[in-house]
Amino acid sequence: MEGKLLRINLTTNKISEEEIKPEILEMFVGGRGLGVKILSDEVDPTIDPLSEKNKLIFAVGPLTGTAAPTSGRYEVIFKSPLTGTICNSNSGGYFAPMIRKLGYLAIVIEGKSKDPVYVWASENGVEIRDASKLWGKDTEETTKALLKETDERARVACIGPAGERLVRMAAIINDEHRAAGRGGGGAVMGSKRLKALVLYGKQKPKVADNQRFMKIVKGCLMTLDKNPVTKDSLRIFGTNVLVDIINEIGAFPTRNFQEGYFEEADGISGPKYLERIFVKAYNCAGCPIGCGRLTKANGEEGGGPEYETVWAFGAACGNSNIEDIAKANYMANRLGLDTISTGVTIACAMEMSERGILKESVRFGDSEQIIELVRKIGYREGIGDDLAEGSKRFAEKHGCPELAMQIKGLEIPAYDPRGVQGHALGYATSNRGGCHLRAYMIAPEVLGIPVMVDRFKPEGKASIVKLLQDVSAAVDTLVLCRFTQFALRIDQYAGLLSAAVGRTYTEDDFKRVGERVWNLERLFNVKAGFSRKDDTLPPRFLQEPLKEGNSRGRVVELDKMLPEYYKIRGWDEEGRPTAEKLKELGLC
Amino acid sequence: MDAPMKVIPEIDRKAGKLNLSPEELAQMIDHTQLSPYKQQRSLEKLCNEAKAYNFGFVCVHPYWTRFCVEQLKGTDIQVATVVGFPMGQNTPDAKAMETKKAIEDGATEIDMVMNVSAFKDKRYDFVKEDIQAVVEAAQGNVVKVILETGYLTYEEIVTACKLVKEAGAHFVKTSTGYGPMGATIPHVYLMRQTVGSDYGVKAAGGIYNFRDALRMIAAGANRIGTSAGVKIMDSYAWARHTDWHIEEIPCRLCPSRKANFDKMPKAVFAYYKSKCVDCPYREFNRFYE
Repeated sequence: MEGKLLRINLTTNKISEEEIKPEILEMFVGGRGLGVKILSDEVDPTIDPLSEKNKLIFAVGPLTGTAAPTSGRYEVIFKSPLTGTICNSNSGGYFAPMIRKLGYLAIVIEGKSKDPVYVWASENGVEIRDASKLWGKDTEETTKALLKETDERARVACIGPAGERLVRMAAIINDEHRAAGRGGGGAVMGSKRLKALVLYGKQKPKVADNQRFMKIVKGCLMTLDKNPVTKDSLRIFGTNVLVDIINEIGAFPTRNFQEGYFEEADGISGPKYLERIFVKAYNCAGCPIGCGRLTKANGEEGGGPEYETVWAFGAACGNSNIEDIAKANYMANRLGLDTISTGVTIACAMEMSERGILKESVRFGDSEQIIELVRKIGYREGIGDDLAEGSKRFAEKHGCPELAMQIKGLEIPAYDPRGVQGHALGYATSNRGGCHLRAYMIAPEVLGIPVMVDRFKPEGKASIVKLLQDVSAAVDTLVLCRFTQFALRIDQYAGLLSAAVGRTYTEDDFKRVGERVWNLERLFNVKAGFSRKDDTLPPRFLQEPLKEGNSRGRVVELDKMLPEYYKIRGWDEEGRPTAEKLKELGLC
Repeated sequence: MDAPMKVIPEIDRKAGKLNLSPEELAQMIDHTQLSPYKQQRSLEKLCNEAKAYNFGFVCVHPYWTRFCVEQLKGTDIQVATVVGFPMGQNTPDAKAMETKKAIEDGATEIDMVMNVSAFKDKRYDFVKEDIQAVVEAAQGNVVKVILETGYLTYEEIVTACKLVKEAGAHFVKTSTGYGPMGATIPHVYLMRQTVGSDYGVKAAGGIYNFRDALRMIAAGANRIGTSAGVKIMDSYAWARHTDWHIEEIPCRLCPSRKANFDKMPKAVFAYYKSKCVDCPYREFNRFYE
């Protein structure tokens, strides 16, 4: 295996290329794995994430830009200013293949520029250019201006006003509306005064054994085309197909997770989305699924909203106005904000206002106010300045930390954990905080993929969570879309990787890659001060049973799952990887 | 009759311990396409999938028999087709004629639908003759008889199984997929208990993943009919990586829970619901379980 990285130091303006050591690629493959390895080796876990010591690593994998289905995604890895943990965020669109077409597996951004800059990389070389005129512009304006200034065929990943203002939930936006949203990567980019990366490459990514590779690709396409989720549900409804499903099981968080059933869900459901705002579907690079959505609402057009966003600006805030949800989403994309964290932080403020803790009036269900609050957060105006710190800091400041629906500082997404016990464990143990994608237990607990398991039972969940965490981490080293996991098998992923790099990975080898990444992330977090006390959920989920819907009467039984999880992971009682485990994984 | 739903937890546990290789499982699957509107490319795909996963059989409508036989030439995969499908109300002559044509077209197995109306009228001789006509026309090829268990009580299932065996067919089969209920553990268990160990039992309808398939095998099925063969095999690939067997609440696997007022005879619906009253697992039968 071989691959290069591009290193750009914004303090010294030094630009260099490095060969990545073959043994690192063998152990960590690419994408999330490679980024986590570089960050762990080069960044002190105790640093201030918004200081120049933090690094921002854009990484792709050995399948990026090839014929492998959904291989048009990248990972960005950094220490999160929202959580203080290691964080990786993932995005689709058409930006990722450009990294590979320039001949790189990773671009490492380090240091801090004095003035706003952007990076322009093409076959003619890499330049750090002045971005003073772009500073203050939104992501759409920035993208258009940069394409005009460089090459219309290039692809842009940039930040908006939110990232410039170090909003802790700022996203990196590529291709105008695809977001590496979670964890505040946009703020890290803003702290480095880096407005954008603009890339245009022409090299065709190669694989080691093309004949074998294409045979496996064909099998994968057949599998994706047979699976009802990847073939029909996501294609026809997009991700918003989940609204009705999750509401029906009573796990659709409503009004800041006070309830699990939204009585107005019909207004934001998959069919309603099609009727009211849908314009057309689109695919990211290399994707046969096509869950992307272009929409139109009240005269504006844009990309999305996805299920999580429909929920975050919808049920989480008690709002069923799908047009205004779309508008809030367009606004968040232009400002460069993570819609999940933004929506949940607004919902937190709404509950505080309802309880009389907040002097400002922020009302559930007021869709116009939601749009205005998104704007205020992006620009750090008025109450938006406090909200821009995220729900954890905001609620702590007002003396009610229990009202922040977050884990390790990251706002929890669109599944109430009380209705899905395994998913709750996945949330609690996620290395980047409240995240549904580290172990998407909704697949087995709700969708029956690969098999249906009782969603209310805590027993037996720890081993399934571990498996999905490891496999998902391994898939993120490739880097493929999480949605492929609804259909593809581990042997197919391992086969794609083996044929691409010319080294055999068995299914167990592939899982081991994921386990290695997971443990290295955990080590980073342990060194940053995280421990068992942080592997928990807000008290609401542990103590307050849901009152309505088909999960009523339930709370999360975390105590029954966590010790078993640590044991299966080979960690000690405080959740620290043991020396034996680290040795087994080649991490010490 | 001792209520067959009592066996659900035991069989669910047994299914969790079954040690079946993927190859063995694939050989038990009739990879099925019995939709009324699928076009040639879907049937081509079905055959390609059968080759890729090495399924034992494909099961298709008579219209597609010859086509699939052609597609599968040179492989060991056999073609099964359906007769009197899906209602079973055709005359014995018509069923025999369908069978004869299917065998001519290259089918080696016939899945016929029992005449449930005649059975409910207790015209057992007619039901047997109906089956015998197909067995004869099949010229020694395998005949499976679909009971459509969702229309039958437990007692009627036992009677039907005995009739099928007496008529000389080779398999009893649960459902068409168009009836009110798919295969369930108690039904399959009861069928196996009735026909004995050296007879065929095919579970079909509502089998979507490997746990469903293994439950049917643990209950006594030696053949699985499903349109989700690929999904079953793909999901089975995950089985070896961890223990997916989290014990299921018995009600979710019970025909009494699956009974549907709109789709089945009201007396049969009431019969299944009445079984819940004295069920040993009634504690699980709550609105949100």
